[in-house]
Amino acid sequence: MISKKLALEVLNLATETGADFAELYCEDTLSSSLSMENQKIEERVSNNGFGIGLRLMKGLQTAYAYTSDISKKSLRQLALDLSKAFDGKRQLTVTELKKVKVGDINPTKRPMETVSFKEKYDLMKEVNDTMAAYDKRIVRTNVYLSDMKKEVYIFNTLGRFVQDTRRRTRLYMIAIASENGKIETSGEGPGASDGWEFLTEKVKLKALATETAKSAITLLGAAECPSGKMPVVIGNGFGGVIFHEACGHPFEASAVSKKLSVFWDKLGKKVANPIVNAWDDGTIEHGWGSNNVDDEGFPGERTQLIKDGILVNFMVDQFNGRRMNTPQNGHSRRQNYKFEPTSRMTNTYIDVGPHTVDQIIAATPYGLYAKKMGGGSVDPSTGEFNFTVSEGYMIRDGKIAEPVKGAALVGKGDEILSRIDMVANDLARAQGMCGAASGSIPTDVGQPTIRVTEITVGGRQGGK
Amino acid sequence: MAKFDRYFELAKQKGVEVLELYFSRGKSLSFKLYQSKIEGYKLAEDISLMARGIVNGKIGYASTEKMDKLTPEFLINEIIANAGTVTKEELAIIFKGSEKYKKKNIFSEALVSFPIETKKQRLFDLESGLKASDARIAQVTACQYMERESEAMLLNSHGLKLKRKSNYFYYYAGVLAMVGEERKSAGDVVFSNDPNTFDLKKMVKKIATKALEQLGGTQCESKSYKVVLDKEVVADLLDSYLENASAEEVHKKSSLMIGKLLQPVASKKITVLEKPLSKNIFYTYFDDEGVATSNKVVIKKGVLQTYFHNLNTAHKDNVPSTGNGYRGGGKVGVAFKNITLKPGKKTLEQLFEKVGQGVYITELSGIHAGLNSQSGNFSLQANGFLVENGKKTKPLTLITVAGNLVDLFMNVTEVGGDNELLLSGFDVPSLIIKKLAVSGN
Repeated sequence: MISKKLALEVLNLATETGADFAELYCEDTLSSSLSMENQKIEERVSNNGFGIGLRLMKGLQTAYAYTSDISKKSLRQLALDLSKAFDGKRQLTVTELKKVKVGDINPTKRPMETVSFKEKYDLMKEVNDTMAAYDKRIVRTNVYLSDMKKEVYIFNTLGRFVQDTRRRTRLYMIAIASENGKIETSGEGPGASDGWEFLTEKVKLKALATETAKSAITLLGAAECPSGKMPVVIGNGFGGVIFHEACGHPFEASAVSKKLSVFWDKLGKKVANPIVNAWDDGTIEHGWGSNNVDDEGFPGERTQLIKDGILVNFMVDQFNGRRMNTPQNGHSRRQNYKFEPTSRMTNTYIDVGPHTVDQIIAATPYGLYAKKMGGGSVDPSTGEFNFTVSEGYMIRDGKIAEPVKGAALVGKGDEILSRIDMVANDLARAQGMCGAASGSIPTDVGQPTIRVTEITVGGRQGGK
Repeated sequence: MAKFDRYFELAKQKGVEVLELYFSRGKSLSFKLYQSKIEGYKLAEDISLMARGIVNGKIGYASTEKMDKLTPEFLINEIIANAGTVTKEELAIIFKGSEKYKKKNIFSEALVSFPIETKKQRLFDLESGLKASDARIAQVTACQYMERESEAMLLNSHGLKLKRKSNYFYYYAGVLAMVGEERKSAGDVVFSNDPNTFDLKKMVKKIATKALEQLGGTQCESKSYKVVLDKEVVADLLDSYLENASAEEVHKKSSLMIGKLLQPVASKKITVLEKPLSKNIFYTYFDDEGVATSNKVVIKKGVLQTYFHNLNTAHKDNVPSTGNGYRGGGKVGVAFKNITLKPGKKTLEQLFEKVGQGVYITELSGIHAGLNSQSGNFSLQANGFLVENGKKTKPLTLITVAGNLVDLFMNVTEVGGDNELLLSGFDVPSLIIKKLAVSGN
């Protein structure tokens, strides 16, 4: 992509005016996606993302430039133009870039580019047909298969040269059910930093397809959810989106360093019930949010965020770490070369607790069981968040009762965290795409089934 | 132009019947301020080449940001491979061209020649203005200037060649207001391509007021209310609703407007136009398939006048394309530009008077997750105010609004006259809705 020699020249040119750190991030990404609707392949799209991002830091200032033109002439000019952001004297010179050895936590047996179209088609068709055959009321099925291979080179003025190859594979399935003019949708999207074997050996696609179709059919018969404040039992796996929104984002250094997080002064303090332990772990083998190195070229880490209810760590990138006097901990990420990296989540989850799912349901006389969640959003500066329940059930007299749909859960992150009073032992993770300052990145959310003593539920049925 | 000849030659050699290239290039510059210092400075140059071609009657797509001597080979090979996978029976069309195009020059020389120092100084003035506006403004959380220039060219084997060029800038700022433990945030974007129109004082006042007004917010009683929807909220909801007017969604049977052509889809008070030829930063005289765009009425006094078509959906319905073929995620889908909801005569205050007792919704969050555009159902986090005795009173926080898009637009009883062109490309007023479920306590 770019030679060490050229990278060295660019880094030194760019630091002419006093930058105390420079980094050159180069990327070459091949991606492809196949989409199927009702058994027919609608299209296959391939794309080659390509470019470099040059970043300078000087104290608490940054300058960033990107381009897809990686010719010597273009890069020299870019370095000179960018260096004009500062007007000081040279503070450093890099003399050597040493290749840092990077291990591979995501080895693939069969990279997706070696899999024939026929094999992919057959697999997609099986998922499609499983959903379609579940019930006559499934009127439309979509299956998307996407994969990408990203080659990354990162050079910086610490003399580091890091090279990494990232592969990701994801299959997304959607079942649309219709009856008497009503339309309901359900979807699942398992993904991993892995190859073909993820889809054929590690995830049970057929069972998931049945589950997806079943969920869409259940929703057809579901009543609207009531409104008001009530206890909510949140299901495992994608239920972790509540922790992602309510706590994960406010635990990122980008919010913490500027005191823009409600948790900025809570390090070492109790923020949750002692049964709550939470992690952000970028080192999970084949994890959807895992990378061998982060986007600043530092090894990913397994970081405990909450230990026995106490906030013990934030997720920190180099730049925000400067303001916090805290070293980076492998959590700097970006969508691609067009974005300056910043602190982001990788695979975030609440760890197992002392209860079982049955105990939690039995201990809840009245409330909402949020089995399947959609996405959500948060304003880290106020802690106010929302997320959507796509498949829910009322809990009555300690038993799961009728299905309900269409509810938004809203609250403040710090309040919700302090109201988790039961945590089960059925930890599972699920995949999502997270959008924030440095773009859209793959992240895992996760948790066992948990209970929150009170959340504002906004259902379409209205008040009780 | 010459540099693309190789693509067409290679396409011909390899059996691609028709080839289309969409080449775009842009550059941007931005500054970010934090605590009276330039915290971030960004220079960007982007380029992309999206190609599609017809092989054996099927269409294949490929795109790249890498432009070197291997690019033609890569794109043509991918197009051939990708076209070979398509099993959907659909006519593959690459356009020969419209009879007439309404090309206007919207590129602003004023923006190019406006002094960079003044652009920067305004950013400092914006931050200091916000800080000084009220003691309760604890922090200016974001303060940013961005300008961008972009050009695009569409060319194909039929000899069609179309170009467009535009530029714009925006200022964005956000604040955090605090009283004790209570924190409220607000922000706003001002955009244009004429830097002489920028009104700094107005922007400062709007953001500060928006944050301060929310302080002391409570939840209201959960029930059905008469509601005033602020124009920003109207834009969000109308955007989702109009997705149903996409012929693509109609054909896939996932639209709420199936069979609704020339039927009511909204209250009689609602007239919606698509005006891609309006001379603003969203102007475009051709869509991404090269079809000439035109201004048109989409909903007239509540009645749906047309679906949005690209070449493919138009062919299926045996109508001309409406010039709504736009690229999303590589392929050409259906989208719209410059939507206007025809204004009424009442000011926002007069809307409150008309409502008497109700709720004024100023912000919705989590639309990507909480609104299902297929069923039209939504349940969303909202902020706003109580309306009591015809006036906006107490702020409301962490409430939710729930309903269905069809009911909502059918239940519009009054259209305000406070239209404003928003960054989403919607020029819409505030509306009164007869009833909407709001939950809080």
